[in-house]
Amino acid sequence: MPNPLKPEKSVVTTCAYCGVGCGFKAETRGGKIVRMTPWKEGKANHGHSCIKGRFAYDYYNAPDRVRTPLIRASIDDPWTPVSWDEAFAYAAKEFKRIQAKYGVKSVGAVSSSRCTNEEIFLTQKFARAVLGNNNIDNCARICHSPTQFGLTNTVGAGAASQHFDSILQADVIMVVGANPTEGHPVFGSLMKRRIRQGAKLIVIDPRKTETVESAHCKADVHLAIRPGTNVAILDSIAHVVVREKLYNEEFVRARCEVNEFENWKALVGSDNYAPEVIGPLAGVDPDDIRKAARIYASGPNSAIYYGLGVTEHSQGSTGVMCLGNLGLSCGMLGREGVGVNPLRGQGNVQGGSCLGSWPHVFSGYRFVTDYETRSSFEAEWGVPLDAEPGLRLPNMLDAAVAGSFKGMYIMGEDPVQSDPNQHHVIAAMRNMECVVLHDLFLNETSKYAHIFFPGSSSLEKDGTFTNAERRVSRVRKVIEPLAGLEDWQITVKLMNAMGYNVNYTSAGEVLDEIARLSPNYRGISFALVDRIGSAQWPCNEDAPEGTEVLHREKFPRANGLGTFMLTEYVPTAERTNDKYPLLLTTGRILSQYNVGTQTRRTPNSMWHSEDVLEINEQDSISRGVKDGDWVKVSSRFGEIEVRARISERVNPGVVYTTFHHAKSKANAVTSDLSDWATNCPEYKVTAVDVVRTNGPAADAARDAATPRIAEMEPAE
Amino acid sequence: MWSEIRGLKDDVDYGTPPRDGAPVTLEIDGVTVTVPAGSSLMLAAASAGRPIPKLCATDMLEAFGSCRVCLVEIEGRGGFPASCTTLVAEGMKVKTQSETLSRLRKGVLELYLSDFPESEIADGWSEFHDTLKAEGVASHPYGAGGFNHFEAPVDASNPYFLFDPAKCIVCSRCVRACAEVQGTFAITIAGRSFDSKVVASQDQPFFESECVSCGACVQACPSHALVEKSLFEGEYVHAESAEA
Repeated sequence: MPNPLKPEKSVVTTCAYCGVGCGFKAETRGGKIVRMTPWKEGKANHGHSCIKGRFAYDYYNAPDRVRTPLIRASIDDPWTPVSWDEAFAYAAKEFKRIQAKYGVKSVGAVSSSRCTNEEIFLTQKFARAVLGNNNIDNCARICHSPTQFGLTNTVGAGAASQHFDSILQADVIMVVGANPTEGHPVFGSLMKRRIRQGAKLIVIDPRKTETVESAHCKADVHLAIRPGTNVAILDSIAHVVVREKLYNEEFVRARCEVNEFENWKALVGSDNYAPEVIGPLAGVDPDDIRKAARIYASGPNSAIYYGLGVTEHSQGSTGVMCLGNLGLSCGMLGREGVGVNPLRGQGNVQGGSCLGSWPHVFSGYRFVTDYETRSSFEAEWGVPLDAEPGLRLPNMLDAAVAGSFKGMYIMGEDPVQSDPNQHHVIAAMRNMECVVLHDLFLNETSKYAHIFFPGSSSLEKDGTFTNAERRVSRVRKVIEPLAGLEDWQITVKLMNAMGYNVNYTSAGEVLDEIARLSPNYRGISFALVDRIGSAQWPCNEDAPEGTEVLHREKFPRANGLGTFMLTEYVPTAERTNDKYPLLLTTGRILSQYNVGTQTRRTPNSMWHSEDVLEINEQDSISRGVKDGDWVKVSSRFGEIEVRARISERVNPGVVYTTFHHAKSKANAVTSDLSDWATNCPEYKVTAVDVVRTNGPAADAARDAATPRIAEMEPAE
Repeated sequence: MWSEIRGLKDDVDYGTPPRDGAPVTLEIDGVTVTVPAGSSLMLAAASAGRPIPKLCATDMLEAFGSCRVCLVEIEGRGGFPASCTTLVAEGMKVKTQSETLSRLRKGVLELYLSDFPESEIADGWSEFHDTLKAEGVASHPYGAGGFNHFEAPVDASNPYFLFDPAKCIVCSRCVRACAEVQGTFAITIAGRSFDSKVVASQDQPFFESECVSCGACVQACPSHALVEKSLFEGEYVHAESAEA
């Protein structure tokens, strides 16, 4: 081989994939990105990387990247390329027309956790200050909204209590409903480093994930629970903690509401949650529940890391509260090596959560109904703001189906592919008169859109991301935006077209506005992040360079005390029966990222070219399914066809698939049940049956005769 | 506890991981430097602005002591210990440059060079190339007819990086990066002596092995034996359309 060509320039930026938020150096040659190398000073990754951030960056230059704005009068028409000015004018005219005809609240906006903090903030400002309502939601709705609710109600802050490095001081690591080595690989490597140093590992997951056992890393206890029994199993662990008096009484008396602790003790300490009762229900050995509880409680430093396997349930918020309760009861909060930590899926889920992209709160989770908070925003933005909370995304979709919701600005999301019960989402989309989609590529949702704003990838814009450990890092422009505008500029110009006069000369000015209006971000600016690399919020006068560990002295609640929520186990309404005897649960794989918009446009698909269904041998034999056979997975909500992989990773009665490929439509089968508190969909539990088929080709004729849902292949 | 990852600097390679022990003061080439106990002489030298040439050492990996390029002299001790595996001690006086050291290093580098493709010495920019330049080694006295790995096939199975055994100096940095940094243990050294070579899993192409393409080995490789395909003109297959 000849010698490689040396890159000419290097820009330090932040990876746009998962919630780890690795620092990278984007290296260019001749104005083209030729390499991404991990930044050794990146405080989330310390010079390490994974296949996605390190190599799968080339999607930005994919041939089907949209490089000019598109409009059309009807979703049955072809797209017409137009200038930016025409696109903004058309969108503004449509939104105004709809609001005049159907009312101020007939339109809304959705932002994405792939956007920067500045873009997310501007999108909610667009809804609140320009559309004049609180119909603003973001995709954390469908992943970590229970985290915000559950943790806020126990420890007072809906965010990770620790920084990632904290795990190097943990003696016990408990992973619940997460698979870090696939979903958060760089953190997974840090975790494995600590396990090799001798930390104990407890995994609660229906599937024997890569985290459960890999080279030199094996879980001391793996509770392979039946999907949907999280709350039962966590209550049962708490039962052991209470009955065996493993809790940290000193911590509870000093730091928590003692009355609530007593109430909680009474609930989880009852015989209903004894391992001998819950074990058979959850499909695990009662002794393993006891073992897990004893290991966790004995620490001395025990840290909980959890993912969507906790949140995406009808009791998702309750599951998060169980973890908060457990951490408080054993005194595993407020110092290094402990904590309760959500592993955020997308790069900026924490930012999406923090910055008011919710229908009921402004940035910093302050309620829109609160006069004082609202006034501060009104003063900054110069318009009166609506005091009534708006619609959540699922409610917007319901209202669209019902006919009262008619227009939506969707920034960087693909609800048709990623939201549950696809048929319902499509019906909602079809019912709207103006869907403005702002994205890199045409996607499933663009089939139902009227206006398309071609966005900029994270390599083409300035801004900040807030990762899963509350760390705010810089996104820096490496190359000029392919479609001419940075995403934040697009939203500003849309605001201007709507008649709202605002101007920013840089994304940094948007961050300054965020800092003025958000207590946790008060000290954060481009200047600070450029100087110290990154900063974890809260960052303010008391913590000018940010805060690594939360809850050291007190919890951010009115009385400063942590509290215990009652977490009674209520089984999901989604049940198996004779017709749907198996439980489907979903997850991710290393090489692909969410719905694959980016990674499917890179050679990463060589590793994972299609979603497959993992099925236990016992279930496969009884269905005559062999490895590699096509199978139909049917639920009460729909059906899909994928190939089967016989696997010991899942127990009998459980099947598993990923949702990375549009063509496999995994969300066509998932239920429309959702978390009782936050509407986070219950992706993780669906009763299904699996039968062998001749494959999609053989079914094509039948499908053509009776189309069930619109064709799913992406438009060219 | 944390300094091994938190003490890293982007523009410095300390050679061995930073430590956080009690301060130890020593002298390197007459420069007084204070570093935490548990640090290597190599790290102390880098901190003192007297970096020692090295091949198998890098500060994201534990010291390995195989390349024998980082030899130093220590006052009052015999021999030429490797600075990566020798820990600092209070009052130590270390010499990183001398005629003998230079001769020893040159000899070692010439041996490496004797099994490195000649046409790719001049315009290379890897750490190995930089070290050769710094030590003033541009050729070797062993002739062209000796045993070598020049014809060993390139493994280009991974879409993102390739492995060219001809440029491999068998320093084990990739093996250690896969184990220590990534924790996958997909790479090993197979064979003995001159036959020893880097292999993935059971001597499989990288793409078919347990490799998870995290890039840690590519990052660690000092000689561009493991290197990104995107750095070669025309070698890199561009993004394919979705669902192609």
